[in-house]
Amino acid sequence: MLEQLQKLREEALAALGTARGREALEEFRIRYLGRKSGFISLMRGIGSLPEAERPLAGAEANRIRTELEGLLAEKLQEAGAQGQGRRVTVDSSLPGRTRPLGHVHPVTRVMGEICAVFEGLGFTVAEGPDVELDFYNFEALNIPAHHPARDMHDTFYVKPGVLLRTHTSPMQIRAMQASKPPLRMIAPGKVYRCDSDITHTPMFHQVEGFLVDERVSFSELKGVLRVFVSRIFEEDVAIRFRPSFFPFTEPSAEVDIACVICGGKGCRVCKGSGWLEILGAGMIDPEVFKSVGYDAERCSGFAFGLGVERITMLKYGINDIRLFYENDLRFLKQF
Amino acid sequence: MKLTVNWLREYVDCALEPKAIADRLTMLGLEVDAVEPLHAGLDRVVVARIEEVTPHPDADRLVLCQANIGTEVVPVVCGAPNARAGLLSALALPGAKLPGGEIRRSKIRGQVSAGMFCSGKDLGIGADNDGIVELPAGMTPGVDIRVALGLADTMIEIDLTPNRPDCASVVGIAREIAGATGGRLLRERLPAPPALAAHGLPFTVVVEDGDACPRYMARLIRDVRVGPSPAWLRNRLQAVGLRPISNVVDITNYVLLTLGQPLHAFDFDRLAGGIVVRRAHPGERITTLDGVARELTPEMLLICDQVQPMAVAGVMGGGASEVSDATVNVLLESAHFNPVSIRKTSRALRLSTDSSYRFERGVDPALPPVAMEMAVRLIHELCGGVVCSGGYDLGGDTIAPPPPIILRRRRVCDLLGVQLSAERIAELLNSIEITTTVDDAENMTVQPPSFRIDIEREVDCIEEIARLVGYDAIPVTLPRVPMSFAPVDAGRSLAAAVSGIMTANGFWEAVNYSFVSPAHCDILKLAAEDAARATLPLLNPIAENQAVMRSLLLPGLLENTARNINYQQYDVRLYETGKVFVNRGEELPEETRMLAAVLSGRRNPDTPLLYDQGEKVDFFDCKGVVDALVAELRLQEVTYGCDRPAAHADPDQFCRVLLDNVEVGCFGRLLPAVAQAYGIKQDLWFIEINLDALQAGRAATPIFRELPRFPSVSRDVALVIADEVRGDEVIRAVTEMRQKLVEDVQIFDVYRGKPVADGYKSLGIAIRYRSPEKTLDEATVDKVHDKIIQTVLSRFSGRLREE
Repeated sequence: MLEQLQKLREEALAALGTARGREALEEFRIRYLGRKSGFISLMRGIGSLPEAERPLAGAEANRIRTELEGLLAEKLQEAGAQGQGRRVTVDSSLPGRTRPLGHVHPVTRVMGEICAVFEGLGFTVAEGPDVELDFYNFEALNIPAHHPARDMHDTFYVKPGVLLRTHTSPMQIRAMQASKPPLRMIAPGKVYRCDSDITHTPMFHQVEGFLVDERVSFSELKGVLRVFVSRIFEEDVAIRFRPSFFPFTEPSAEVDIACVICGGKGCRVCKGSGWLEILGAGMIDPEVFKSVGYDAERCSGFAFGLGVERITMLKYGINDIRLFYENDLRFLKQF
Repeated sequence: MKLTVNWLREYVDCALEPKAIADRLTMLGLEVDAVEPLHAGLDRVVVARIEEVTPHPDADRLVLCQANIGTEVVPVVCGAPNARAGLLSALALPGAKLPGGEIRRSKIRGQVSAGMFCSGKDLGIGADNDGIVELPAGMTPGVDIRVALGLADTMIEIDLTPNRPDCASVVGIAREIAGATGGRLLRERLPAPPALAAHGLPFTVVVEDGDACPRYMARLIRDVRVGPSPAWLRNRLQAVGLRPISNVVDITNYVLLTLGQPLHAFDFDRLAGGIVVRRAHPGERITTLDGVARELTPEMLLICDQVQPMAVAGVMGGGASEVSDATVNVLLESAHFNPVSIRKTSRALRLSTDSSYRFERGVDPALPPVAMEMAVRLIHELCGGVVCSGGYDLGGDTIAPPPPIILRRRRVCDLLGVQLSAERIAELLNSIEITTTVDDAENMTVQPPSFRIDIEREVDCIEEIARLVGYDAIPVTLPRVPMSFAPVDAGRSLAAAVSGIMTANGFWEAVNYSFVSPAHCDILKLAAEDAARATLPLLNPIAENQAVMRSLLLPGLLENTARNINYQQYDVRLYETGKVFVNRGEELPEETRMLAAVLSGRRNPDTPLLYDQGEKVDFFDCKGVVDALVAELRLQEVTYGCDRPAAHADPDQFCRVLLDNVEVGCFGRLLPAVAQAYGIKQDLWFIEINLDALQAGRAATPIFRELPRFPSVSRDVALVIADEVRGDEVIRAVTEMRQKLVEDVQIFDVYRGKPVADGYKSLGIAIRYRSPEKTLDEATVDKVHDKIIQTVLSRFSGRLREE
């Protein structure tokens, strides 16, 4: 019986190899797999075999049948694809049926990316009020009234002593007043300055960050900002710290990255310097600690503040900051 | 602060190129904004000798010169009266960019001219325009005119931070460069002031307010010849953007820029009896040098004679005693004023000058005698003045050196994260003239110099050390801090969740200014008692349409919509999440986080045209978004109320959103008249939700329910009922029967019109039945279904629709 089955299989494989077209394949099916085929009659004969031979013969017959059916199906499919029958094929070049999907504003998106980097480093995120007291915005940050550093901030006032925050730094004071070190926090939000031209809008976004503990050093500030810059821009973008002045940090630094437009060779965007200023930072001034009742001898910390629009503009090559607030869909849909 | 490299090199021994100097300054914290070679346009102007002059054949007033420019002799047409053979002058060759324009090779009345001989004015280096420049004999033809005239120099502009008034001077910058490069500060170039005695002088000086004016020096210079300054002085001032005025005034400006000490020169003969330094009397006025008559207030410090104010101290002089061409005798002031007093005055008068800029930041109190000496010597040299011996120096002896500071090496190393020895620290500080006494390996005493008013504390010294070591030399490490769990800000995560839902529904996020026009409340026809009318005005808005803090988000989105429609973006779906501000009088305003959205135009704006049937959005697109928010945010107990319309919404298409029966928002169609007021001529639907109010209504973690094990059975039915019966009443009528087998009830069709009678509608209802215990049979379902239909029909007096 096994021999017969094997012979039949070989014969069938040879026939299938030469069969061309759907009609020939149908003929093959009737001849080898149909009800009246030799194969089926052979299988019927299995029942009359001695009991010991039956399982083996049955299994072999089934294997061959499955094999032939599979090969036939493949052949049939091939024949179909060759356009033998009248099949309707889609014009796959036509557009897909998309559902409308919106996106967040580019500033929100970059703000989220920035926050995510610091959240990954274990910083808490908190937001403060936009309408702020002079005390938090200036006084407690070591910017007393009549200090020339106030010239660095063109301030909107709501009434004497109440203003629109000019930076997100007031959150340093609010957070330190509310808890004791160690602290690490970022404060994203809107800030306001009365200034408006191609590079300034009267409202923009900042992310403030600070870390306070015992024996925090400037080299750690450099480390954290290095991580940040690598995550937001290229992994190995050149970065430099240079001395600057903020009343609430000492030493203070401005942080530049190699110009993302020209790669440091010098262009219009970096004004030929090869560097782009992206954030301000420094070690928290002891006066700030005093204003919140911390012992400036026992703790130290660093703080940094960055402009989200500026980073967004650099990231996407946007050349006019005012585009962010026109909410032109032709602009928004690019991000 | 602007200066030139040559000027700088007078005070520091430094061979670095201008660009390298600029880089050093930037890395010292003196950020260089610009490095500009001076007279760059004169690069094609050379020394030329006129070899021969012949008359121009076709012009009486022109001559034809043969100009030797070293390598060749070229023809130049010239009209200057002093053009003559043998003269050395400045010749601008083709391509030279003079202040008056670019020089080209040309033909003048038929004669070729390969350049132009220039006057001082043509070159932009003087006012002289009577003839061409006459250069001294011995200069070599062909040499760059900038080299020949000593004009080759580079201007450097520095953006000074407010803590470094000492660097608002050439000498201050020179000191920094000396420290950073190891070069030497050329101290010997600064004059040593003599001791001054006040007896026998023909004037008196009285300082009435020693707090506001801790030091006042005055000297008299007689027989001064006021006139234009020499070229070198004019060039220096022009190079840094100052207009030369007269030799005396130019000298005071030159000393101010060189040393950082503001000076003032009075016409001595116009002072009545000497100087009184006092506060203004109520109602006093002065006309300052800029010709403006100014009202003075008693907190302003003045320099007066016995009769009237002569100058606003440290800010600007007065016209009454201004040095003019007629001035013969000059009284020179070199003083020290209180920074806060100057700043208040400068602010009150809205008058900022080179002098007030320095005084309000802090000038070295030891500087007045040095500046006085430099100035009187220059006046003697350049204006022929005779300096009267003696002079006043009131308060000079009372100025104490700044208190010493204890500096701990350990503290320096800890704060910077870099290891430095006490010797190295001392060396760094000494390099910028900060003296130190090393007490032991760990401690030293620092004596801040009088010119560094910003160094008062240990940390100020540490900053200097960091600056001088170089920030780049400080290693990069990461903080070692204990791990902690950062709590999540619920407001932020809700806003992020809302953003996710809105963008998934095809909305684009907008961000608008927090300040808006106060007119929006009226345009939106807000009721008088509406809380959103309590806007918070700014005291100093930059524009009328940004005059109040926004109390609503909608106006910004409506303006965005109008703008987009103007730019042919007719399909608008925008949302914004942000704060609104409600005035609470004395308290800080209430800041509430809101969501607003607008939708207008086609239903499927970003669908390829192939599939777009052009349907426009309607009320139910708008409601669908609110439904999505409710579902996705798991808001419990939300209902929509339509009993109270809003003034800015179409009353037929408006709902309020209630959470636990408290209003948290609304949505609907904007009243066409309001849309028109914003310049929007197409239908628009809006949503406004108070996000802060949603926090409480959010369900906690979802609880899993077993998946159904048996199939459901659906039954549809069409009911004809009165038109005014609302869809949700019918649904509720079904659900309130609390039939256990009912799993879901939905309206699948609403039809009005024939054959349904007027005043009625046909409502198609689909009810899905399921049992948790078994597969339902027809008979069971029919029984429940019939009961439900009968109840609903009798409740609303309806009937079944016949097919």
